[in-house]
Amino acid sequence: MTDHAVIADQPIKPKTKTADDPSFMLPASFAGMSLPLAVGGAVLLVAGALVGMMAGPSTRFTMLAYLTAFTYCLSISLGCLFFVMIQHLCRAGWSVVVRRVAEIMMIALPALGIMFLPILATVWLGDGTLYRWDDPNFVANTGVSAEAWSQKIRYLNAPWFTIRSLIYIAVWSGLAIFYFRLSRRQDETGEIKLSETMQARSGPAIMLFALCTSFAAFDWLMSLAPTWFSTMFGVYIFAGSVLAAHCAIAVFTYSLQRAGAIRDEVTVEHYHDLGKLINGFTLFWAYISFSQFMLIWYGNIPEETEWIYHRQVGVWGSIGLILIFLHWMLPFLGMMSRHVRRNPTAVAAWATYLLVMHFFDIYWIVMPEAESATGGVMGVLTSLLLTVGMIGLFLGGVLWFAQANNVKVIPVRDPRLPESLAFENI
Amino acid sequence: MSHQAKPTIDTPKESKLFGTYAEFDNVDQLLAGCRKVRDAGYIKTDAYTPFPVHGIDKALGIKPTILPWICLACGLTGTSIALAMQIWMNAIDYPYIISGKPFISMPAFIPVTFELTVLLAAFGAFFGMLALNKLPMFSNPVFTDPRFDRATDDRFFLFVSAEDAKYNQASITKMFGCLGSGHVADIHEDTSSNTVPRPFFVIVGLLALFSTVPLLTLARMRVTNSGSPRFHVFYDMDFSPSKDAQQTTTLFADGRTMRPDVPGTVAVGQFNDSIDFYTGIDMNQLSMIDQPRATRLVRALLDEPANDESATEEPATEEPANESTMTPADEQVADEPIAEGSAVDAQDAAAAGVGAAAAAAIDKTPWLTTNPLPITAQSLENGRKNYEIYCAVCHGNDGGGNGLVNRRAQRILATAWVQPSSLHQDTLFAEQYADGKLFNTISNGIRKMPGYSAQIPTKNRWAIVAYVRALQQSQNASIDELPADKRSEVKKRQAEIEQRLREQADAEKKKAEAAANKI
Repeated sequence: MTDHAVIADQPIKPKTKTADDPSFMLPASFAGMSLPLAVGGAVLLVAGALVGMMAGPSTRFTMLAYLTAFTYCLSISLGCLFFVMIQHLCRAGWSVVVRRVAEIMMIALPALGIMFLPILATVWLGDGTLYRWDDPNFVANTGVSAEAWSQKIRYLNAPWFTIRSLIYIAVWSGLAIFYFRLSRRQDETGEIKLSETMQARSGPAIMLFALCTSFAAFDWLMSLAPTWFSTMFGVYIFAGSVLAAHCAIAVFTYSLQRAGAIRDEVTVEHYHDLGKLINGFTLFWAYISFSQFMLIWYGNIPEETEWIYHRQVGVWGSIGLILIFLHWMLPFLGMMSRHVRRNPTAVAAWATYLLVMHFFDIYWIVMPEAESATGGVMGVLTSLLLTVGMIGLFLGGVLWFAQANNVKVIPVRDPRLPESLAFENI
Repeated sequence: MSHQAKPTIDTPKESKLFGTYAEFDNVDQLLAGCRKVRDAGYIKTDAYTPFPVHGIDKALGIKPTILPWICLACGLTGTSIALAMQIWMNAIDYPYIISGKPFISMPAFIPVTFELTVLLAAFGAFFGMLALNKLPMFSNPVFTDPRFDRATDDRFFLFVSAEDAKYNQASITKMFGCLGSGHVADIHEDTSSNTVPRPFFVIVGLLALFSTVPLLTLARMRVTNSGSPRFHVFYDMDFSPSKDAQQTTTLFADGRTMRPDVPGTVAVGQFNDSIDFYTGIDMNQLSMIDQPRATRLVRALLDEPANDESATEEPATEEPANESTMTPADEQVADEPIAEGSAVDAQDAAAAGVGAAAAAAIDKTPWLTTNPLPITAQSLENGRKNYEIYCAVCHGNDGGGNGLVNRRAQRILATAWVQPSSLHQDTLFAEQYADGKLFNTISNGIRKMPGYSAQIPTKNRWAIVAYVRALQQSQNASIDELPADKRSEVKKRQAEIEQRLREQADAEKKKAEAAANKI
């Protein structure tokens, strides 16, 4: 076409890359980090457990700190699973270039199922090591009505809890493996039919996911306070998870690009969209947590307020304020401008910041159930060691898996990849 | 391919030039053209495309919009209005305790604040967008060119306005030609008549006329009466199954719709464990003098049925104090029909005097002599309010016994009317008529005056007693009772009034003298 001479000052499109372009592989620096991260993480995890057992306030405290760390990584993985499914559900074009990053993080779910075993083990000790409903003396210790309690333990008992937990893990792992496997098969074949299958399954899959995630939140986190209940609790955990997942995707993609991978594929436009979603989910998280709070606050019924009230006193009250101002208000205002969201470095910075805030959120949900507040210096050290260790293990494992299986960091033959590459917001 | 053909150039001669456009048949050409025009320094340009084209803002060099700032400003306005409104309403204008929360309780305000923020931000975005785009714009001179219609179909137009400072018809036409445009044309101001066709006015006028019909109908309905039953557009709660007072019901065994209080119920803010406070009687002394009556009073107060006949006994026990204070003389006055308005004053005064004297002789009830309520400016103010609500209609604002109801009764020569007592008579002063007795009168009534215990809370009745004492003192005070700094003021005022009265008297005297002289 002769027209091309006229439009020479248009930005030059990058040369078409083949599917096995080296920039689609995990960068060598990342692959090299996998072992140190995993080993370092495992060492810190063991160190954290030892500190908790030897110098920490109690075994229960250590287990709660472990649950915090576990929930932190699990929530990111679950959020990524949700991200992948929702993109298929609405046949999104823009997100294809960042979808594989989410897929890599969601495939940790089966491994996280193994990390859940220590928590499951405490339930079978039958002495309330982690979950107090597990303690046969609960009624005697707390003065809860024995009759009400006899109804409650029909749901909260070790065998039924184990069955449910296994169902959750099985469903999540099954979904993660299904989506991961099909997406990778498409890397080889480029079949459109695979996309169609993934789309067709995403509707029911997301319903299963919603049920499992909500009930897992009830069972694993809400039952820490066995007499307290909030039907919104599952959504609250979900909101935090999805926010954290979007942040993790942004940070992961940004660091991949820094290391030399997918530099031409992920553009300002994709960061702009991730930024919009992060900003939106910051508000969604605040909206959901406030909705839960306000109903309880307004109703003002002791059995409902105990959970909130406990978290408004002392150090928990301070963390609550941190959540309001630093988890919601500051990032919400900070990411409001288009100029910020169209700056990849700024988006990655805010995402990193929010990932730290997400830890405060989980910490604030789980740790107040310990009798010994933050557990002093040793207690805080235990929490930090366990969380950092768990994150190290999580990242190391994920990178090791991607490297060992030659996973590309972008779905190279996805039928919507061209749409995603050409994506423009304005 | 039309763009390869030699550009056809239309140049209509008449009317003012509006601008020049070039027609392209693909997006890339349009974007290239936009960049060229932008780089040549044109500012008043526009592009028309059948669908949104990404990147056209940048290609045309359009400055980032200020719409986000408008949206933010409107959103923050919404936040402030919502917070200010709720704080003012709930905490300042009408402080009202809701579920024991503080007047300013943020969590309760947040939903409204959130909604108003979103609403105003959305308004700002929507109307701001319209305003910034100068919409609605009913006509544009480019519409005069029939070729331009394809802007909604399959052609892309780049337009440069003649108002642009750099505009030069010849150079633009040349530039457009180089860009590969298939068609370049000048647009002239639309010279067609801009008179609005008459049928438009007729239709608008008719619509305006018809639109008044519902309003006029409503207005008529508001001012006229109709014999037919009300028309219920929405049934909603118009026909509530709830019962009215005094109706019967099958829901409860006793058939009463109004449920009696659970025995021992005390309304919020009404609790005072002293029985004296409720009766105005020193119960310790009373139990020494008249044990059965004390027992009856206590039982009535506690709502404790002595036995199964409580229902019949209650009316009798409810106002024992009233019974006992009704002296024979009082009853006589109450029962006596007073025929003549002129006779009322003297008769009542005499009767009251006699009655009070007789009452003092017979009444041995140990009335409380001091008001159990702390006397503060606040409680007196409260007493004044309650007095003016409940008492002043008969007794008058000044306590002289000539309130509005009394005046009306005298005007219509009401036959069964008993003149309300003036509160400014010795027999009603504290020395003869103890505070407790006055309280009892307010609570249970006297002669034709009904008891007010059902309407006025106990505390407020005591406040009225305090206020009546203040009222009595105000009408019978000497100047020495005033605070020193107020005395001179009152004296001055008194002198003024006396002076004026004297002048008035002098004037009248002169007038009378003048009239007498004339005769």
